[in-house]
Amino acid sequence: MQERRLPRWLAWVMDREQARRAPFLARSPLFAGLPRRLLGRLATRFLEKAYHSGEVVFHEGDPARALFVVVEGAVEITQATPRGEHVVRTLGAGDAFGELALIDESPRSGSARVAAPARLLILYKTDFDALMVVEARIAVVVMRNLSRVLATYARRNPVVVTEPAPRPEAADPS
Amino acid sequence: MKPGWLLTIAGVAALAWLARGLVLPVFLAMAFAYLLSPAVAWADARAIRRSVAVGALFAVIIAGLLAAGLLLGPRILAEASVLVERLPALATQIDRGLDAALRELAEVAPVLRRVFPEGSGWVHRFVLDRPPWDPSDLFEHAGHLFLLAILVPFFAFFLLRDMPRLITAAMDRLPPQHVETSVAVWRELNGIIGRYVRGVVLDGLVVGALAALGLWALRVPYPLLLGLFAGVANVVPFVGPLLSAAAAGLVVLLTPGQGLAALARVIVLFLAVKVLDDTVIQPFTIGRTVHLHPALLLGSVVVGNHALGVLGMIVAVPVATVLQETARLLLEHRRVLARRRLRSDAGRLRG
Repeated sequence: MQERRLPRWLAWVMDREQARRAPFLARSPLFAGLPRRLLGRLATRFLEKAYHSGEVVFHEGDPARALFVVVEGAVEITQATPRGEHVVRTLGAGDAFGELALIDESPRSGSARVAAPARLLILYKTDFDALMVVEARIAVVVMRNLSRVLATYARRNPVVVTEPAPRPEAADPS
Repeated sequence: MKPGWLLTIAGVAALAWLARGLVLPVFLAMAFAYLLSPAVAWADARAIRRSVAVGALFAVIIAGLLAAGLLLGPRILAEASVLVERLPALATQIDRGLDAALRELAEVAPVLRRVFPEGSGWVHRFVLDRPPWDPSDLFEHAGHLFLLAILVPFFAFFLLRDMPRLITAAMDRLPPQHVETSVAVWRELNGIIGRYVRGVVLDGLVVGALAALGLWALRVPYPLLLGLFAGVANVVPFVGPLLSAAAAGLVVLLTPGQGLAALARVIVLFLAVKVLDDTVIQPFTIGRTVHLHPALLLGSVVVGNHALGVLGMIVAVPVATVLQETARLLLEHRRVLARRRLRSDAGRLRG
């Protein structure tokens, strides 16, 4: 997605950081396919924070409240095993993590540790929910992308099975 | 707690005490900024620089206020000056009415005659015959209003322009383990306060307009002035609607030719506006922002009144909601930290 060009005499009106943020988000698989107008609205909901190397963004088991997007630097996703911490994947600029927070606040399935000094964009679930209420298209596109991400995880880990829904209690014949 | 933290807290408290005169302008500026924030967010989404967006917004507001002043100002001023002219006659009328009521009551309880002697002219004494204001008092009040008119837009401008930068600076100083909860608390509170402020203002506008239209239809004098009062008073929970209905009822009672039937019509009008407000207008404007138990809601208004008077009653509901939500999120954060400690202890024991 290209940064929108304004006539030179109007360029002073543009907020360059904000103008860069929307195209940056468009490169993330989670927000691919969102029109520029909605990307602009979504971009305003993100907060930005700098992290030092070695800092933990969140721990495994913490309630999930926010989605993170790496602007620069590197972040490792780790999981605790009986033999110690196991690095599941390493993320770089443009990658998103903690996506499941957009669905519910269930505990984090892994920890996120900053591997190289990083700047992260943070989207809090309440903000995303509020945006979905007024812009249903955001919900459709992001949830479709999120389903693709989950499908990829499920194919990589075929042991993951969905639990059967609890059966309604059998009617008492008496 | 570390001595450094104690010193910082004491320093902030001392500064807050010294700058207590700024509490009202800052509070009003925050409310004003929350009111305008959707328009600034609209500009943000289009990557328009905040200073440009906020400047343009203020220019539009000033133009709108000038237009409204030119259109409605003369009518409201005319109604107010007629009311002021009629005030001595109205006061005499009320005093006569009070004397008649006291005479009737004194027949049942003669002791009242000694406590409230006839012909005391209560309204004249307490409302009209007050010693004239000291000119310096007048200048002081005018000075305060002028200062508010300058400081509120001034603070609101900078709050709107610089808030994202301030938040980023604060976020960068937060320890990582507290970021998610801090973000959660901040966004939750921001949403609650923003929706509440915008909802209350919109609600006041609709209620004021409905009251003014209804009073005009019922041919009650000063409909614009009373509608304006109803809209502003609506900001104060519970008491505001009662006060505006009482003011309209008093005007009806003191207007020759408007009898008890007119008073009943005004009461029905204000009841209808209140029911409409609670069932139709508020769900659209304030929505489900406030999740307080009705008893807690009433209690917060009473406490607010004791602490800060009318201002306290206005801020009581959002403050109580914010405190409740903050406490919920912080308690949850404490539980998370406790669980984390337990897990790491268990890991150490296994190792």
